[in-house]
Amino acid sequence: MFTLENFLFLLQGVPNTLAISFLSFALGFALGIPTAIVKQFSPYGLGHVADAYISVMRGIPVLVIMLLFHFGMAGIIPVFKSAFLSATFALGLRSGAFQSQIFRGAINSVGRQQMMAATSLGMNRWQAFRYVILPQAFIVALPGLGSEIALLIKDSSYAFVLGVLELTKYSDIVRKATRSFLYPYLIAAILYILITFPVANYLDRLGSRLKTKYGLR
Amino acid sequence: MGEVVLACEGLKKRYGDLWVLKGIDFEIEKGQTKVIIGPSGSGKSTFLRLMGLLEPPTEGKIYFEGKDVYGSGLDLNMIRAKIGFVFQEPSLFRHLTALGNVKLGPKVVLKMKDDEAERKALEALKTVRLEEWSHHYPAQLSGGQQQRVGIARALAMDPDIILFDEPTASLDIELTWEVIDVMKDLARRGVTMLVVTHELGFAKEVADEILFMDDGRIIESGPPEELLKNPKSPRAREFLRRLIGGV
Repeated sequence: MFTLENFLFLLQGVPNTLAISFLSFALGFALGIPTAIVKQFSPYGLGHVADAYISVMRGIPVLVIMLLFHFGMAGIIPVFKSAFLSATFALGLRSGAFQSQIFRGAINSVGRQQMMAATSLGMNRWQAFRYVILPQAFIVALPGLGSEIALLIKDSSYAFVLGVLELTKYSDIVRKATRSFLYPYLIAAILYILITFPVANYLDRLGSRLKTKYGLR
Repeated sequence: MGEVVLACEGLKKRYGDLWVLKGIDFEIEKGQTKVIIGPSGSGKSTFLRLMGLLEPPTEGKIYFEGKDVYGSGLDLNMIRAKIGFVFQEPSLFRHLTALGNVKLGPKVVLKMKDDEAERKALEALKTVRLEEWSHHYPAQLSGGQQQRVGIARALAMDPDIILFDEPTASLDIELTWEVIDVMKDLARRGVTMLVVTHELGFAKEVADEILFMDDGRIIESGPPEELLKNPKSPRAREFLRRLIGGV
């Protein structure tokens, strides 16, 4: 039997799911913007480093990165002794690569004319980027960032394999305890939707609203 | 003779195999207004972008206040800050209000304090008669208003010259007038201006000289009454006949 107590127990997985998702998103953001800038300007020929980072992250399943960190590298990098942190860093690193692509698309969409106008005022490339390009690119990037958060919330479920007590792990525990095979996973599925939908939808709508306000494409 | 603000010598520009500018000598003195006319593809916009230091020339020299711009290790951004540029395409910063647009240059490039930059910006917006629109975003302004904000943005830098690249080409006739009126004001107030435009009324009223460009060269130049009434070159004659006659 699946009871209300089971449901409340299962809810205890939500905080970790949220923590992994949002921390990895923040890490991805912190990595994504500089990576996009490096790819754009390629200072000291660093563009290739950014390319390599993106290709590697696009090519490895995130679960494999998690396993590699937690089981393979905990001896070298103590942080990875924590299953929670291994999962968060794995997702964050991949998100950095993905977010850099989102930002790059957004930066390119702002257009040469804006850069030219900034240059005509005597701004150097960095000033033009900081005050003119990036603020507009950020607005254009909002819907993409919404999808990225949704992806991270869903993929945080891989942390279950490392034994992190997040939503998927809890539903599995309930499944074993109650021998109810349908409800624990069904409830988890609904909870994932309830978490992802408002976040992604909010960023989508905020993006559309700001784009209209500022006349951005 | 006044002081020469901006000049060039043997200016050439090539894109791939195509020579867009084929050797231009030019100078403009403080307080002068010069107008460039010519068919599309004649190199007018390219010439202006080169003079605004927005693109480097392939050959030739550009002088700003007597100094060889590319030849003497000068900080190009410092010179660009002294050369205003008004574009044909809408080029206001879309995420900033009119005031924000005008104040950004003084703040970021001239390192003015916020209130000082704001005073400067409001003054410039007043000159283009848009002080009441200072808190509107570009998307909320008409094309003519946007161009005037663009002019204010250039003015707020206290430039030594402003270059205008067909600022009314994409505007309806009434919006064109409001922009042209502001530009006439500036010319009368002694702002040094180099203007690509086909508004011959503007040229007649305020230009000290009209330059006719074709095929990457300045074919003919002279005071407006002379060049507009009696163009010497057949190409200028043909161009003006079509421009005025609309044929």
